[in-house]
Amino acid sequence: MVYVVGIDIGSAFSKAVVMAENRIIAYQVLPSGGNYKLTAERVTEKTLAKAKLSLKDIAYTVAIGYGAANVSFSSETASDISCLARGVHYLFPGVRTAIDIGGQFTRVLKLDERGKATAFLLSEKCAAGSGRFLQVIARVLQVALEDIGELSLKSKNRVDFNTGCAVFAESEAVSRVAEGAAKEDILAGLHRTLAAKIQTMVARLGLEPDCAVVGGGAKDIGLVKSIEEGLGCRLLVPEEPQIVAALGAALVAEEKVSKGG
Amino acid sequence: MAALSQYFAGVDIGSTMTKVVIMNEAMMNSVIGPTGPEHRKLANRVMEEALAKAKLVFEDITYVVATGYGRINVPFADKQITEISCHARGVAHLLPEVRTVIDIGGQDSKGIKLKEGRVVDFVMNDKCAAGTGRFLEVTAEELGVSLEDMGRLSLEAENRVEISSTCTVFAAQEVVAKLSEGVALPDILAGLHEAIATRIYGMVRRLKIEREVALTGGGAKNIGLVKALEAKLGFPVLVPPEPLLTGAIGAALLGRDMVREAAEKGGTLVRSKRRLTEATLFT
Repeated sequence: MVYVVGIDIGSAFSKAVVMAENRIIAYQVLPSGGNYKLTAERVTEKTLAKAKLSLKDIAYTVAIGYGAANVSFSSETASDISCLARGVHYLFPGVRTAIDIGGQFTRVLKLDERGKATAFLLSEKCAAGSGRFLQVIARVLQVALEDIGELSLKSKNRVDFNTGCAVFAESEAVSRVAEGAAKEDILAGLHRTLAAKIQTMVARLGLEPDCAVVGGGAKDIGLVKSIEEGLGCRLLVPEEPQIVAALGAALVAEEKVSKGG
Repeated sequence: MAALSQYFAGVDIGSTMTKVVIMNEAMMNSVIGPTGPEHRKLANRVMEEALAKAKLVFEDITYVVATGYGRINVPFADKQITEISCHARGVAHLLPEVRTVIDIGGQDSKGIKLKEGRVVDFVMNDKCAAGTGRFLEVTAEELGVSLEDMGRLSLEAENRVEISSTCTVFAAQEVVAKLSEGVALPDILAGLHEAIATRIYGMVRRLKIEREVALTGGGAKNIGLVKALEAKLGFPVLVPPEPLLTGAIGAALLGRDMVREAAEKGGTLVRSKRRLTEATLFT
């Protein structure tokens, strides 16, 4: 078997996927931390250990993401957008619109029937338009990031934010807590604010079903439901939404290997 | 008119500080104190302090004008007037030669164009923390530097770094990374001041900046920011003796103007049923 690795060093999380013969063998997600080079090595080692492989068994490695340049052992780097599109297409061939909610950006892509990205939009480099917004408010409310989605679904009286800036929203959340607002109601407001920004991006590009949501933000059920409400359509969410771009990078690696003979 | 016996107060409730000015023809007293992080609870205390300093009681004040971010629910004011009008009035009084005012507050920043003391145009940012005092506050905290020291320290830079993030949240992350990479603190601070100056200059430039330019608000107390903005403008700016007070001074003066105008028409200005109690942010 010919094994390949796709690795995605994001601003918040790093992901690695091992593939062979168009199948996922193992994957791993780790927080990126401050040292991308070290994290790239660690996330790859952990993934390879799961697959009972070592780096010398790997025929080709493709690195993408914010810290791609720090992956010293990669064969090449590739475009984040095209890998994202490939990963989405592999999982959901019927998807024509994909939303990727990452730690630094939100991306919205249009895909054709072959899984090529035909158009895309990137959120401004603004924390309130990305998954970072969730982290900022979760910290203020002292709720674990993975719990905010479920908790927000319990909201009965959503508290809307008056601001679209993550820094100002942080102070607003502090004030609301002091006034006695429930955490779930503040979280529901947070999801609405972020969802509204994402909906605007989708509307600019044009919503074409099926629509999928991927990236770390897709793990937040409250956010996904809020976007679904806003767009008026169901969203497909992969079992492990964070690894989709790394998966696409592994698919690029497979293609290189097969073309190379 | 017994003008000398009339006292006027201006209250500028900002996001972080409350500024109170009490004046008559002969004197001016002022107090600057914290607004109170959540409910603007401390704004009335600042007023009480200012009254004590002026050896007056609340009833002695002929007219109270409130302004600033937290002006809406101020039970101890007769009238609320926008920051733009109050800053303009204050600057026109203190520095009559000024045509453009750049005010950098804790939670917003604005540019005001003046002609013969009147507001002819303005721009404002209160939507995004980048370009407001909050940007420096957040990044200073991440770097473990006090807000008071960061401006002076930034002037010691030998090799200013470029801050690539516009967003305050991402810039805070970026500067911490730079510090851990071993970049000198003054070089990072100079990069931050350059970033905020670029942002503010980009906004105010839309007004077609005319000299003289005054810098007011808490940002004007930061020598690093003053220098960075002067470098963008290409000429020196004027800074009032106490740049935090221009809004409150303007508010008091506008109150005086209104009372005088009413008197000239042979009437008196109706005062509201004011009480010296807590101001609130939300109704």
